[in-house]
Amino acid sequence: MPRAEEYVDRVVETDLLVVGSEGAGAQVAIEAANRGVRPLVITKGAIGRTGASQCAGADFNVDGISAKELGFSGDDRDSQERFFSDIIHEGLFLNNQKMVEKYVEYAPKSTKNLLDWGMRVYYYASVHSEEIARGLTSSGKRWVNALRKKFKSMKLPIIEDTMVVDLLVSSGRIAGAVALDFRSGEIILIKAKAVVLATGGFQMAYPFNSATYDLTGDGQAMAARIGVPLIGMEMVQFIPTTILWPPMERGSIITYIFTELDTRVRLLNSLGQRFMSRYDPKMLEKSTKEIVSIASELEVMAGRGTPHGGVYFSMKYLGEEELERMKNGIIGLTKSLGETRYEFKTLLPRLIEFMKKEDIEVSNACHFMVGGIKVNELTETEIPGLYAAGECSGGLWGANRVAAACTQVGVQGLIAGKISPEFIKRVDQEEITPGDVKKIVERIEGPFKREKGMKVEELRRYIHDISGKRLGVIRDGKGIKEAIDMLKEAVEEVPKLYVSDKRSRKLNREWIGCLEMENMLTCLYATAIASSVRKEGRGAFYRSDFVLTNHDNFLKNTIVRVKQGKFEVGFEPIVTTTLPLPKGKMTFEEAVGVATASLVREDANKGV
Amino acid sequence: MEEKKIKVECFRYCPETDDAPYYVTYEIPLAGRMSVLDCLNYIRENLDPGLTYFINCRKGFCARCALEVDGKKVLGCTCEVKGDIKVKPIREDKVIKDLWCKNI
Repeated sequence: MPRAEEYVDRVVETDLLVVGSEGAGAQVAIEAANRGVRPLVITKGAIGRTGASQCAGADFNVDGISAKELGFSGDDRDSQERFFSDIIHEGLFLNNQKMVEKYVEYAPKSTKNLLDWGMRVYYYASVHSEEIARGLTSSGKRWVNALRKKFKSMKLPIIEDTMVVDLLVSSGRIAGAVALDFRSGEIILIKAKAVVLATGGFQMAYPFNSATYDLTGDGQAMAARIGVPLIGMEMVQFIPTTILWPPMERGSIITYIFTELDTRVRLLNSLGQRFMSRYDPKMLEKSTKEIVSIASELEVMAGRGTPHGGVYFSMKYLGEEELERMKNGIIGLTKSLGETRYEFKTLLPRLIEFMKKEDIEVSNACHFMVGGIKVNELTETEIPGLYAAGECSGGLWGANRVAAACTQVGVQGLIAGKISPEFIKRVDQEEITPGDVKKIVERIEGPFKREKGMKVEELRRYIHDISGKRLGVIRDGKGIKEAIDMLKEAVEEVPKLYVSDKRSRKLNREWIGCLEMENMLTCLYATAIASSVRKEGRGAFYRSDFVLTNHDNFLKNTIVRVKQGKFEVGFEPIVTTTLPLPKGKMTFEEAVGVATASLVREDANKGV
Repeated sequence: MEEKKIKVECFRYCPETDDAPYYVTYEIPLAGRMSVLDCLNYIRENLDPGLTYFINCRKGFCARCALEVDGKKVLGCTCEVKGDIKVKPIREDKVIKDLWCKNI
């Protein structure tokens, strides 16, 4: 049998392979290098210019007391215990409490790192209307630029525009990975003692999302393929009032951000009715994200949607003069803050100008993956040497995330960068099984070598139809069952995928698309089967056939495992520490009330 | 309302298989306000899956979709298309394939 090296174009060796270069990945590499191991980062894009981090709002969490220690105004009423409790209520008790403890404990450390590395902050405030201010607001660009600068100053090795396709396991331990270098079209074998996955979400599996093109669930799917369980995959967070139309602005959440800054926006259906009055007469548009999402979806389902299937975001009633004042106010504010982001500086004023005459079509975009790779509070997976940090991991947020994702990735990146070197120093490089490499290389090359079959674009449309219509904001048993059956059919098409443009292996997006498709399908299938067993509504998860939040039967985490190519779904108990789990049943609205008890919510009718 | 059609003249070049660069013109519908990237996406998704260009954030963050459109250097995602356009790579001498260059 040939050696493993003979199946690939290139071989690289490292102590620690970090898959992903942004909020989580860069932090892992920096921390691990500080602890004396040599990391290698492989990223699908370029550092500081890929994934979700660059687009983040971006808010960072620290409790009010630690905020004071970091030099911000802070809040004496706060404590780490209160912060812990708020997060678990917001997650409707599905959170791994050990993970939440670590989040609260490490949040100040990870935030201090970023400040030390030069990330500038706009202001300290309550970002998501929490009663206690816990948010440092910066921008995704400032964040990733600070990380990149630190990373570059340490001269850490990185391979860019390269996708890690599969992980290698020998004797039950991580041995390395196989990757495809987009620019050269070469297949790389990476020998590593440990791997940290920091690959982000799988938003591209949904037709309408607020994410970047590279977020295709690669980490989750790679982990699943080697038998690592996924947790809470039914929990997909949608963000309401995201621009649906026109195409140029599609997926921008600037309209949602705007509703947090200015509360005068009205949502209208195609009949011009302010429909929120029927769903939350008191709070109207200022109701919670979940309620606004569900209400907009119900309007569309009832045939009262916009031409492209959303609702209208309207400010026309304020009059041209007031909108002109608003526009100039925003232009002035962005100038004074030194704001350079396109969405704030250019897009928002343009939209307000546009809204003098027309309304904007908005809808619920797939925004954040609450579930993911099952890890413990130390970011360890079930396979020794494999860690996951950031959005690709699951368990921290339970049923919903309100607190800062930016802090999650920093905290988990810091922990993975601290823990993995301890493991690396104890072990030797595992021997790589040549047969495993051969199989992966064959899988990678399959679509390129096939002369005919199905084009990946065709399959993309098919799975988007499934996820958009059946695994969205409102689900039900019938739709979930259809999704499972249709996804099974889609999985059968994967071995038929072929690349029609065979001019070159270099930068072959069709080829890359085939590999990403398999990952998105794995994630969506996990989402579908996890949705099928959670027969209740909770947090980000809403089923029209089981609307109650049922603490008696469903205070447990869904777990999806792949065994010999077959998916299995089950439940595991929640990891708790100090906060007892509630009993009984609640209406979905009551549960939303529990989840938002820590937020300040004014009556929308006041002063309007 | 009649859908407006526009012509997108696109630079194509694969150094491994082509002797020299050439242009292909695609006719596409202009549906609503569209960016240059929206046009390229339409072509890739409906007409020519091999068309190679960079796309990632779509909102001016990553700044990797730099292109030359009608002689001007722009970002594909934030440049609005109003009529026929001619799309070239940002640096012709740096092309790896079609509109995607080295070091962008």
